[in-house]
Amino acid sequence: MRKPLLLSALFSFTLLALSASAQTGLTVRDVQGRLKPKSTFEPTKISVEDNRYVGIDSISYADTVILRNCSAILRKDLDFSPFFEMVLLDSFFLRHMELTEMTMLGWKRLGSQYLVKLETEFPRDRIRTRYRLFSVETGREIRKKRFEIQKQEYRALVHSIANDIVKTLTGDEGIYLTHVVYIKQIDSTKELFMADYDGYSEQQLTSNGSINISPAASPDGEYIFFTSYADGEPKLYMLTLKNGRIDLIANHPGINAAPAVSPDGKTVACVLSRDGNSEIYLIDRKGKIKKRLTRSRSIESSPTWSPDGKELAFTSDRAGSPQIYIMDSEGLNVRRLTYQGRYNDSPCWSPQGDRIIFVTREGRFLIASIDVTGKDFRILTDLGNNENPHFSPDGNHVIFTSNRLGPTEVYTMDLFGNSQRRLTVRGGFSNPIWLPEKK
Amino acid sequence: MRKLSLLVLLGAVAVFLMGCPKPPPPPPEEPVVAEPEPEPEPPEPEPKPEPEPEPVLITEADFVIVYFDFDKYNLVDSAKAALDNNARVLKENPNVVIMIEGHCDERGTIEYNLSLGEKRASSAMQYLVDLGINAARLKTISYGKEKPAMPGHNEAAWAKNRRAEFKVMSQ
Repeated sequence: MRKPLLLSALFSFTLLALSASAQTGLTVRDVQGRLKPKSTFEPTKISVEDNRYVGIDSISYADTVILRNCSAILRKDLDFSPFFEMVLLDSFFLRHMELTEMTMLGWKRLGSQYLVKLETEFPRDRIRTRYRLFSVETGREIRKKRFEIQKQEYRALVHSIANDIVKTLTGDEGIYLTHVVYIKQIDSTKELFMADYDGYSEQQLTSNGSINISPAASPDGEYIFFTSYADGEPKLYMLTLKNGRIDLIANHPGINAAPAVSPDGKTVACVLSRDGNSEIYLIDRKGKIKKRLTRSRSIESSPTWSPDGKELAFTSDRAGSPQIYIMDSEGLNVRRLTYQGRYNDSPCWSPQGDRIIFVTREGRFLIASIDVTGKDFRILTDLGNNENPHFSPDGNHVIFTSNRLGPTEVYTMDLFGNSQRRLTVRGGFSNPIWLPEKK
Repeated sequence: MRKLSLLVLLGAVAVFLMGCPKPPPPPPEEPVVAEPEPEPEPPEPEPKPEPEPEPVLITEADFVIVYFDFDKYNLVDSAKAALDNNARVLKENPNVVIMIEGHCDERGTIEYNLSLGEKRASSAMQYLVDLGINAARLKTISYGKEKPAMPGHNEAAWAKNRRAEFKVMSQ
């Protein structure tokens, strides 16, 4: 289903062979690999110069639009990272500094630490862009790399450049080529859709004219498990992304819902009510029950795996209100995680394993984050009602829904709650998830 | 006039057929004219068997919707009163099989509400079973918050959406 990326790095070398953090001083993680709190580091200031055409032939108008879009997309990509802050140029500064065009000294005076230059040509129906990354402080080129792709795929080309810059400067894998999946309401139906991480290139995944909810991706990003009423009752299905095939997985009496695929991809935790009450079960990928994990008269819902696959967090109202609990994958050693307020639900475990994001109710529904030890509770949103938080594969971002402007839309933010961005328009969205990077 | 002549013809044919063995005596014209009054009546009563299916069909409207408090699936007094009525309807109509649909308001997450809707449908079902209704006549499904009865984003709408509805499956 996903378009194959035919990116070819034709030409690439690094001038400095030092490790990323030693090279840039940008250490965003502590020794355990956990993200440092944002207050402990300053985002790195970076600038992107306007894309320059270096072809021989005269350029068409359509190509100048692509040229301009490339620099705009790259700025938006880098600004999305919690580790970068875009420094932008406007004509005021040029006039003020009595310059006709920007120089390295000019960028330095604007406070930029790194500068990206783009040079593009359009051989036939393709786009070829060389990016060069400079340290503004020293004026030296840190890295340059050339990318080429079909011209209409230019957004992917820019996302690849952004990934390369993030990798070079932070050592982290960028998420700019990842995809998101969400549910969109169309009249009285709810269907699955997929889009680029920034909401572009949307495509419809299901069209059964029914209600489809709660998508969950396999760790390889190849399959989406979800609940559908296509057959009248809430059953669990699996969608194969590469060919659009949909298989029935679990068809027990009652609800078959809230799937979460284990990190090894072999087990699906889900909610079944076959005995008259919602309980969390482990099933295999054919739907066969492997183990029942909970046994209570209360509601058990929304399992999420720890990245090592040894534990699950889930929601239960066994104490009289929905709260988040953690148990091991045998259903034992249950402990309560949340004590703030009377409504905590919809947990998602971070890829680094250190935190859980969830929905808390303080009048309105808000996205909150807590350490797995139960300490360091933080609220990440302050507008509207917010639901279904889900981590990006790198753990630096969160995708969620919010009705802060009225209609319910998909938003993203970084894990500190900064740079909240809306991805969708016209409302009716739910259950956004971030697909893992395809290996 | 045309009708009259048609009737005359029909009457003539009928008399002719009935009187097959005997040579039919030529029918007098006057009685034929008198006939049209009783004749058209029989066809009318034919589609009249309305009163026949006296057991009136049960519809969704015969059942009272059961409402719940926010994030609750226990039955308040008004809910029990609604279910008492529904139990009576079910007892009076022993062949009726129903689907109890559990629904929630829009607040809270999709997955939790799916389980909550299931609980609401089960609460209603258990109460009916306790009143002596055969469990085989009661099926449940949860729609969570996916099918609100009222649009709206306020308590008035939410109160109408936290409910268990009764749909007739067969009778």
